[in-house]
Amino acid sequence: MEDIMFSLNSVWLVLGALLVILMQGGFILLEAGSTRMKNAGHIAGKTVFTFGLASIVFWAVGYGFIFGGNSNFFIGLSDFFYSGEQAEGMAYSTAAFFMFQLAFAGISLTIAFGGFAERAKLSAYLVFAILFSVVVYPVVAHWIWGGGWLAEHGKQDFAGSTVVHLTGAMAAFAATILLKPRIGKFNKNGTSNNIFGHNQVYTALGVIILWVGWFGFNGGSTFVVDDGFFGFVALNTNLAAGAGAVAALIISWMVLGKSDIPTILNGALAGLVAITASCAFVETWAAVLIGFVAGILVFYSVKFFDRLKVDDPIYALSVHGAAGVWGTLSTGLFATPELATVGKPGLFYGGGFSQLGVQAMGVSVSALYAFVVSFALLYAMKKVMKGLRVSEEEEIIGLDVSEHGNYGYPEAFIANEEKNRIAN
Amino acid sequence: MPYSQIKKWREDKWEEHQYSSHDLNVFHDEVMKYVFDASLQKHIAEFGPVPCRYAWFVMGSAGRFEQAIISDQDHGLIYEEKSDETKRYFLSLGKELSDGLNEVGYPYCDGNVMSSNPVWSRSLIEWEEQLLKWLTEESFESIRFLLIFYDARVLMGEETYGKNLKKLIHDYVQRNPHLLDRLLENTQHFKKAVGIFHQFLTESHGSHAGSIDLKQSGFFPYVNNVRLLAMKESLEATSTLTRLNELSSMSNYKENLSWCADEFEKLLQYRLQYHKKTTENYDDIHYLNIKELNKNERKDMKHILLNGQKLQNYTQSVIKGTIET
Repeated sequence: MEDIMFSLNSVWLVLGALLVILMQGGFILLEAGSTRMKNAGHIAGKTVFTFGLASIVFWAVGYGFIFGGNSNFFIGLSDFFYSGEQAEGMAYSTAAFFMFQLAFAGISLTIAFGGFAERAKLSAYLVFAILFSVVVYPVVAHWIWGGGWLAEHGKQDFAGSTVVHLTGAMAAFAATILLKPRIGKFNKNGTSNNIFGHNQVYTALGVIILWVGWFGFNGGSTFVVDDGFFGFVALNTNLAAGAGAVAALIISWMVLGKSDIPTILNGALAGLVAITASCAFVETWAAVLIGFVAGILVFYSVKFFDRLKVDDPIYALSVHGAAGVWGTLSTGLFATPELATVGKPGLFYGGGFSQLGVQAMGVSVSALYAFVVSFALLYAMKKVMKGLRVSEEEEIIGLDVSEHGNYGYPEAFIANEEKNRIAN
Repeated sequence: MPYSQIKKWREDKWEEHQYSSHDLNVFHDEVMKYVFDASLQKHIAEFGPVPCRYAWFVMGSAGRFEQAIISDQDHGLIYEEKSDETKRYFLSLGKELSDGLNEVGYPYCDGNVMSSNPVWSRSLIEWEEQLLKWLTEESFESIRFLLIFYDARVLMGEETYGKNLKKLIHDYVQRNPHLLDRLLENTQHFKKAVGIFHQFLTESHGSHAGSIDLKQSGFFPYVNNVRLLAMKESLEATSTLTRLNELSSMSNYKENLSWCADEFEKLLQYRLQYHKKTTENYDDIHYLNIKELNKNERKDMKHILLNGQKLQNYTQSVIKGTIET
């Protein structure tokens, strides 16, 4: 029986890893669809390439930093260049667990790169992929999931609202500040322009792939299949995503007078990000509420960053950042005594403010760490690499050509080039 | 008088006429008439005397006697005799006119609604044929043209030409009232500027962020719906205000429309008052930044905008026959 459970758990973890890795495909569509044609090939290609790079770094040091023994305040210090060996007493294949964790590290990095979109040099992606995967992500992950000090406080973050989403969003925030807005995003009089994405269908398809992938992200985070608890996690996940989409539609319709599609898509994602921390700890009605609040929050957060003149092309700061914070705090409100296997019940279940306090502390310290360290790294890169950003000319012709020498949509552009040649 | 001189005179006199919409439009008429005379003299000197009787009419906001300080040109020609010679003559006169108006300060019409375009410069008989075609075709484009023509106001030449063509439309509409339903559909959609919490729905992005589009959200509901009711009642007037006053004096509309003229007049006044401050770019002139309004003015503006929506609903029920008039 133990053997069967071991196998089933391992299958479940690998399935989870597959779903989470598939989310990279969701991000490709989401990001490419929300940006312009001239950068589409670049966005698709860099996502695959940086995930590859992050995988190798995770194998070499990331995994050891998070889960290794002999740990200090920041990181663990064993299991580097992970050999695939089975850890004693684990109820599932350690290699499967490794794969699952690797997929998460990759997602956090891809979220961070949302803040780079349409203007960063390819070399900046390369260098930051390594630095983020070595210095930023593993520390937060170790603190909360690897037995670090926040884990000891009973910080609840079931599948990573803080660890994965907020950490990525904070790096994205640092990047948007240092990269500055895209050409044409803000006017001299302070108003902002909408730089429309080139394919709303891609963006929506990206959201659906992410939505489905999230069942691996959250459901897989049960690690084990006993008593089918992952089914309940999946149920909460879906409810929050739905509520987020509905809330976003309602708020955009009420405030703007029209139901804005990018807002609806952001709402679904915000619901998913928010429920990520709390999906295993709250009842279904709370999942609906958490998703609903996230859908409204993301709408105002997008407006807020726009007003701050932060150019966030794919709304990473709002979807993963603002919703990540809310999701993490939400368990401090709604965690039930029966479900809170980590930490204590929330404020509304007689737990008082103690769990909410832990959540607030965890989320602030993690966010601060991710932001400060990412900012410092990117700042140093900016100095050493003589800028993180492509030249104005390159930005205008697009990164497909400037960084890769080839168009994502060759027919659309080469035909124009020929016409111009003939006209000249 | 050469165009440059008219232009200078217009610029000099300008200030005096920007305080009331009526005054301003009397002034616009005067300027446009001068331009017409100048074009005509220039054209006669080059191509000989006018071959037959004609009428020059303006449309759009000029036709409705509600031009803003800056407004583009919309105009057409009707001439008595149909021949290749008259066609050539009046088309080149139309070209001269458009150039002249542009030089004096009325930018060319993006939609090419100008006497230099054969669609808007025709003999009387061709105009009759064309209007009947537009009336029966009921395509998107023909309806648009018909609605544009319906605001035509003869500025120079034979006023009866305009009246007769207008009568043709009225007769057709009386016989085929269903056309009004089709016209209604064409003008139903407009950009809402007040949301369900009675908040302003301003532009969120672009250089007009924080502004409402006064043309689309403010003027369109009034202008379009009043035009439809005028057509239903076969009114000859082209000005929205006059149309409203005439409608309100009819017993069947009195109750529902008596408030409307005041609201529209206020709208004209707001545009005049606040556009003096904005740049002289034609695109900018349609936008009103609500930050420039004080508390009372905001309240007033919301009222005007909401009443536009109310007028729209009312017109809809009148045309669809759910309200007896």
